[in-house]
This record gives sequence, C-alpha cells and structure tokens, in this order.
Amino acid sequence: MEYLSILGGRGRRIDEQVAHDLRIHELLGDIFGKRNDDFLRSLYLEPLDNEEVAVFRLNVFRDLLKGEVLDAVAEFVERVNKAVRILAMEKDVYEEHKIGMHVDAVLLYTEAVETAWSRLRGLPIESEGLASFTRYLGEIAGSEKFRELRRRAREAAEARDQIKIRVWIEGDRIRVTRYEDGEDLSALVDSLFSRFKGDGEGAEVKYIKTTGDTSHIHAAILRGAFKIYRTQYDILRRFSEDFPSFIDDGIANFAKEAEFYLIYVNYMKNLEQVGYRFAIPSFTDGGIYVRKFYNLLLAKRGSAVPNDIQTDGSRRIFVITGMNSGGKTTFATSFGQLAFLAKLGLPVPAVEAKIPFFSSIMTAYPVEEDVEERLSRLELDVARAKAIMEKADSRSLVIANELFSNTTSDEGLLLTRLFFEELAKRGSYCLFVTFLHKAADLDGVITLVAQPSPEDPERPSYVIAPGRPPAEYMAARIARRYQLTYEKIREVVK
Amino acid sequence: MIEFDLLRTGAARPAAGADDLRRDLELDKIVAAASGGDELVAEVWREVLLLADASPDSISYRQDAVRDALRNRDAVLRLYKIANETVDAVQRRVFLFRPHDPVLVVHEAVNGLEVMVASLRDVLAVLKSAAFSSEAFRQMSKSVLDNINDEFLASAQQLVKILRFEDGVQFSVKIGELNILEKPVLLVPRKGGNNILSKMLRRDEYVYRLDPRDEAGAYILDDIRKWVLARAASTIFKAFNHLNSFFEYLRRQLAFYVGAINLSGYFEKLGLPAAYPRLSKGALKFSNMYCLSLSISAGSRPVPYDLDVEVEGGFAVVVTGANRGGKTTFLKAVGQSLVLARAGLFIPADEFTLPSTGEVYTHFPRQEDRTLSYGKFEEEVKRFSAIVEGLRRGDYVLMDESFSSTNQVEASVVAEEVVAALVDSGAYVFYVTFLQDFLNRFLDRYREKAVLLVPEVRQDGTRTFRLVRGRPMPGHAIDIWRKYMAA
Repeated sequence: MEYLSILGGRGRRIDEQVAHDLRIHELLGDIFGKRNDDFLRSLYLEPLDNEEVAVFRLNVFRDLLKGEVLDAVAEFVERVNKAVRILAMEKDVYEEHKIGMHVDAVLLYTEAVETAWSRLRGLPIESEGLASFTRYLGEIAGSEKFRELRRRAREAAEARDQIKIRVWIEGDRIRVTRYEDGEDLSALVDSLFSRFKGDGEGAEVKYIKTTGDTSHIHAAILRGAFKIYRTQYDILRRFSEDFPSFIDDGIANFAKEAEFYLIYVNYMKNLEQVGYRFAIPSFTDGGIYVRKFYNLLLAKRGSAVPNDIQTDGSRRIFVITGMNSGGKTTFATSFGQLAFLAKLGLPVPAVEAKIPFFSSIMTAYPVEEDVEERLSRLELDVARAKAIMEKADSRSLVIANELFSNTTSDEGLLLTRLFFEELAKRGSYCLFVTFLHKAADLDGVITLVAQPSPEDPERPSYVIAPGRPPAEYMAARIARRYQLTYEKIREVVK
Repeated sequence: MIEFDLLRTGAARPAAGADDLRRDLELDKIVAAASGGDELVAEVWREVLLLADASPDSISYRQDAVRDALRNRDAVLRLYKIANETVDAVQRRVFLFRPHDPVLVVHEAVNGLEVMVASLRDVLAVLKSAAFSSEAFRQMSKSVLDNINDEFLASAQQLVKILRFEDGVQFSVKIGELNILEKPVLLVPRKGGNNILSKMLRRDEYVYRLDPRDEAGAYILDDIRKWVLARAASTIFKAFNHLNSFFEYLRRQLAFYVGAINLSGYFEKLGLPAAYPRLSKGALKFSNMYCLSLSISAGSRPVPYDLDVEVEGGFAVVVTGANRGGKTTFLKAVGQSLVLARAGLFIPADEFTLPSTGEVYTHFPRQEDRTLSYGKFEEEVKRFSAIVEGLRRGDYVLMDESFSSTNQVEASVVAEEVVAALVDSGAYVFYVTFLQDFLNRFLDRYREKAVLLVPEVRQDGTRTFRLVRGRPMPGHAIDIWRKYMAA
C-alpha cells in the first residue's frame, strides 16, 4: 500500500501585496511562533485553487478536533520526528554513543507506530486522509520485521539500565569503577545546615553544559563502563549492527506533512482558551453568512470584538462607514484573513462561516507615497482599481480601504460609483471601507456602520452593523469626575 | 530549625499611603535620629513605622522587647555588631558574581561557611551571658541555643574541609537515553588505589589519563566536574544562603532595637518625656505630647499638645484658626505619635491613649505642580478617593486643608459629606481647615462626635501656640451689612 499525502494537494503562492495588506505574515508569525520551518511556511502561503482539496483538509481538521484523534496524531508525529533527529545525530558521534542512540531511536519509532495504530484504529475517523493513513500504519505495525525490531530494542535498553559506575576525577586522571555503595555528599550538607531557616530561593545553580554530552571524554567514561559491564555492551553493539535503518518513507512524509494541521490546532487552542472560537467553513454558491468573526491579531491580546456579515448573494458590495478608529479597517482585514484561511482549508475565526470558495482575494489599501512621484496618489488608486478589474470575476473578493480618498469627496464618490458599477458587472464581492458617507447611498450596496459605544457615545464599540452613517463625526471629550459622596464612602469603608 | 521573630510585623505590608505618610509626617527626621547614620537601622525603621497591619498583640510584643532591649543594651549592641561584622566579612570574602559556575559557587560558598561557622561561636557566647526577660528576646535566644551546640560546630568545620575537594571529586553516574551520562550523585570521597580490596578489583577498573596536549579534553573534563558539582553546589549554596540569611535576619531584627536604643538617648538629651502608648476602646487622650520631628530639627522641646475626648464609633478633631498657629505641627505630632505607637515604640508625651491600632492616612497639600489634565481640585479629590478605597473602621485620617483648592462654598459641601461619612463609618479624622460653611454646619451636626481646636490667645492677645477647645464663630455678615448701611 502506498502512502497518500495528508495534504490532499498544493495551492498557488499568494500575491505579496495582498499578503502584506491582510497582514498575513504577522498572522503566520503568531501561528508559527518561534518555529522556523520553510516547508510549512510555504504551504501556508499557498491558497488552494481547488475547492475539493480545501474540503479534504477541512475534513481532516474535523477528525483532529475530536481531541483523541489529535492527541494520537500529535504524539505520533512528535516521536517520529524525534527518532529522525536522533538518527541524524548518530553520524557525528563516537561508537560508544552511537550504539545507545540507535536503541533509543528505534524505541521511539516502534512505540510511536504501535501506539498510534492501536489508538487510531479504535477512533471514529471520517476523513479520507486520516482513514487512509490509519490503514497504512496497521500494515506496518503488523509485520514480523517490525515486531522483531521492537523486541530487540527493549532488550538492549534493559541491558544498559543495569550499568552504574563510580567516577573519580582528580587532576587529569579519570578513574572508573563499578558503583558499590557511597554516601551522598549533598544530603550530608543539607542535613547539617537545614536548621537555619533562611530562604533557599535563588540558590539553584543551573549549570548548562557548554561542551555537549558526546565528547571523547564522555566516550572514555563510557568505555570504562563498557569494559566493566561487558555483557551489556555486547547486547547494545549487536543491536546496532543488526538493524541499521528502519524508518518507513511514508511515515516520514506523514510526520512532516501532518505538522500543517498540528501547528494550526495548537494555535486555535491558545485562542480558544481565552474565549475565542473557530468554525470549519462551508462553501456556498453565492451567499455569505458569517457569525461573530473577529481579528486574530487582536484576539491574542483579548481585545477582538466579534462581528457578523451576511448577504444572500444578490448584493455583493459592502460599504463600511462610521466614526474614526471605529474598527472599519479591522473588520475588512479580518474578513479578508478569514477568506484566505478558508482557501487554505483551515478552520476560521468565527462562530459560524458560510462563504463562497473565492477564486481570488485582492486588496487595495493605502500605499506609501510613490517615491519617484511618477504617479499621483489618485492615479495610483485608479491604477489599482484597473488591475483589480482585469482579474476580477464572480468569485473574486476585493477588499478596498480608503480607495479614492486622495481627491475631493465629489470626485471620490464619482470614482467609487464607477468602481462599483464595474464590480457589479463582474459579480465580484467587495468590502469597501470609506469615510465618504454618501457611498452608502449608492445603488445596490449593503451599508455597514461602525457603531459608537452605548455607554459613551464618544467612544467606539468596534461593532460594525447594518445602518445609516451618522449625521456627523463625533469629537472626543474628556470628562472625568471623581465623586466622593456620603453614600459611596459609607459603602466602601467597612 | 532556628526560628524567631523579634518584630512580629507579619507580612510587613507597607501602609497604602506609606509614601505620603513618610513625607507629610517628616518621618525621615525621626528615622535619621534613630539610625544615627546606620542605613540598615533606617531601612528597618521605615518598614516598621509604615506598616499596614499592627495588631494590639504585636504592638505590646514589641513594646516589651523595646523595654528589654533598653535594659540589655550591651548584649543587643554586641549581637548586632557580630551579625554586622559577619555579614560584612562574607560580603568581602565571597564573590558569587557567576552564580552558574558550580566550581566557583562551591569555592566561594565554602569560604562563606567558614567565616560564619566561626561567628556562631561568638553569638553563642553572648546569648549564654545575657539576661533577657521579654518573650521576643527569650524565644530568640532559646531557639538558637537549642539548635547550635559544640558538636554541630565541630561537624560543620569538618564538612567545610571536605568541600574543598583537595583530592578531586567522586560521583556515581548512570547511562541514560542516547547513552548520555545521567543522574550524577556527588559522593563523600573514599581513598582508593592503595588498599588491598582495590588491588583485587583492579581488573574492574578503568583509568583514563588526559593527554597533556588535549586542551579541548581538559575543558570538557572541567565541564563534567561542574556538571557533577551543580546539584551539590545548589545545596551548598543553599546552606550558605541559609546561614547568611540567619545573620542577615538577625542583624535586621536587631536593627530595630538598636534604633530604639539610639532614640532613647535622643529623648534623654532633649529632655523629652517617653510614654508607652496604651490602647483603650473609645478613648483618645494625650498630655504634653510633642512633635518629635520639630524637636529634632530645633534641638529643643517645642509647644506640647493635650486632648482628652470620648471617640467611640468614629470622631473628628477639627482644627482652625490663624496661620502659623501650629496647626500643621499638631497634625504631625498626632501622626508621628500614632505611627510610633503602632511600631511598639515610646512616644514623646506624658501619656498617650488611643482608641484603635488602625492605619494612618494623610491628605496634605501637594506643593509640586503636577502636569495633569485635570484641575487642582480634581487632583485633590482623586487622591482622597484613593485613601477612601483602602480605609477601614478604626483608621486615622489626617487632613491638612483638604478641598481648599476651590471656593469655600462648594468645597464645604464636599468636605461635609466626606468627613461626616468618615466619622459615621468609624474612622478618626483630624482636619485642619478654614472652610467656614463646613465648620459651622458640621460641628453643629456632629456636636457629639467632633471637637474643635483653635490656637490659644491669651487675654492680653499673646499667642501661646498651644491648641485649646473652641467654638465656630457665628456669622457676622449681617452685622457688617448693617454697619455699612448705617454709615
């Protein structure tokens, strides 16, 4: 049986400007953390063209989100990867170390395969990807060759565990003998001085070895141990000779590819712990129905405000207006990120998400001044609109932020209207963030407005909801009062 | 285990308004007099004077110990000197600047242990000859003598010698995963090589000698030695720290009493009376009470204050009157005495009875012009708000012209609400104010729970700077009106 890739297929690299505007690199920074893996990173920058592959991956996620499947897969991948790392280390060490490393690599690997097989076969797996892999594992774990490998590795580890030596370092001489008995010097110190209460805080001497564990000196000490424990040594040595290589190619590939899922599930868990939710998106033939989606970059700080967006598909242009710093751009960017993640076949930051499988995601965000000033900002805007028009189709998503704002509002509005007409002809989807309130009155658009806080009308709530733009922009006022009243003091002082 | 506590300050949580107290009550002057330049004494005094919690029990515990320390001056000062010199010697001789190098840690810590074990002998000698009578000092002495005897001292000295590792290190070790050496346990060294048993076991021995040119090997061997010593180093370091903290703790605790001994000398020099405060529910009484910081600055006895009132369930002492009438000095005298009383110290008065051991808060005017986005009044109110947050029944609030940064009519409204609420909540308020509306209305409403003090003016018009009972002045506006109308 052949190994079937758990990724289902590959996508096509995202346009760099779009990635920049939607802050995809920052998002990946959060998802990847300190981890540096070029293969994984490239996967995350390749949105899929094929809806079926996205569904294939989302089905794997459905299985993984049943905790037990995830645990089994995560543990498996971790162990196999560790075994692979140990094998790689073997090349660079002395014989005395190599014979031990080999035992541990095999132990890890065999335990990984056996445990994963016995766990996964008993779980209700529904995705094509994981079902196929489980069958593959079963085939390997059942083989005679595999069982013999495992038995011999255990025998070798037990032999090693019997070894205990006494080492005496004096000047440049190392003397190794069998350990018979001895008195723990630290315990002696402790028993004498513990009668002084004091605090032992900060007394932990955490020495970090600077020379590694596999030098010729370490090897010399091992050599001494092996000279004394001859039988145990022979068992270890013969094991390495009898089983030089042992990792199956399909399993090695799975361990690499499965990280695509594991890293994201881990990311989801961190946010779920602080109260945010993820949904497995489903793909519609035109409607958008997303409940409580939010900005992932804000969620990690706990300050993301969820919003809804919906259309039955008859109107596809959303005009977003309202108070300054009211969360309009965040709303549009968050939706763009959501669409992008769905195109990777990943769960999305929302309570529920039904969206079309967008053919492409395009952006037009404010740009820094064209350095050579060949074009005015307005011209740049129009040029970008033109570029979008050339590619847009009835499954495209366009996210425009303050486009056409570099001119009078009459002109800006005119350009906006023309832009919308072009989009409408193609049937494209658009989120259009603007401070031109009149854009909300254009034909066929859905108008969304950044809402003020109900407690303080001068502050934003970051809620974006259907409605009419406010009559005027609100100015901020500062009004702080400290009331020291009789009743309040009586309440406080007990 | 050696356990004692000469101070009983609990968690030694600082009072919420500690910084304000220190500044408003000029506590640094008192601390300077008590410390005589000893920074440790000053530090401990600041801590004990500014405690958030001071139970009646802990106060009388310290009072007894202060009396005992004054009686056993010599022993206390001698112990303090030993502890001080030991800590200083350790600081000079022990350099733990690389706390993660086990060889160095062991070497330095053992130096320290050697010094401290020697000092323990001196401590024992003083304790054996002193005659302490207070619970605090007797318990301390007993705990030390119970745990340290000559046998301990002998064992400690022997161990210090072993820890010099003059014949190298010996340890047991196992082979772990990846054939990496693991679980090293440093062993008490055993002489080997020459006895018959070891010769018999020769074939079970492996000796590796480092090539003299193998520099990398020497470095690795050193690394292994450090690795083996690491766990033991933690234990030895801990032993060092334990013993060092014993001396640190001892001198820190003694520092408070050394300060009391110093301050007592100061009182004698200035001719100030010294009273140990008494706690009595509902009673607030002091006679010939002096402002200590002013005495210290002036080097003499200033004007004393007297008061005797029933304060059950909350009370306000309101002070008003012409400027430079010593009103702020009065607030300081009260505040300082309260703070000293809570510390368990004697205060400059013939007697002092207080109704509770509550916390002390000050709300004094702030001179510095902070650049805040709100007005001065809001700044005052904000500060007061912070005081109220932590306030409890039985606490003391000392207010110097609070709420005067706006016109007196509206300021009086706020002041009346605030002071009435504080008194009704069971707090004790001392309020210096010029707010006329407040004085008239509040003192009328709270006749039973408030008293007004004004500067004494003799018949002949001279000022004594003492404060005496007074009554709010009745309004004269209509008189003045008539007078002018008539004119």
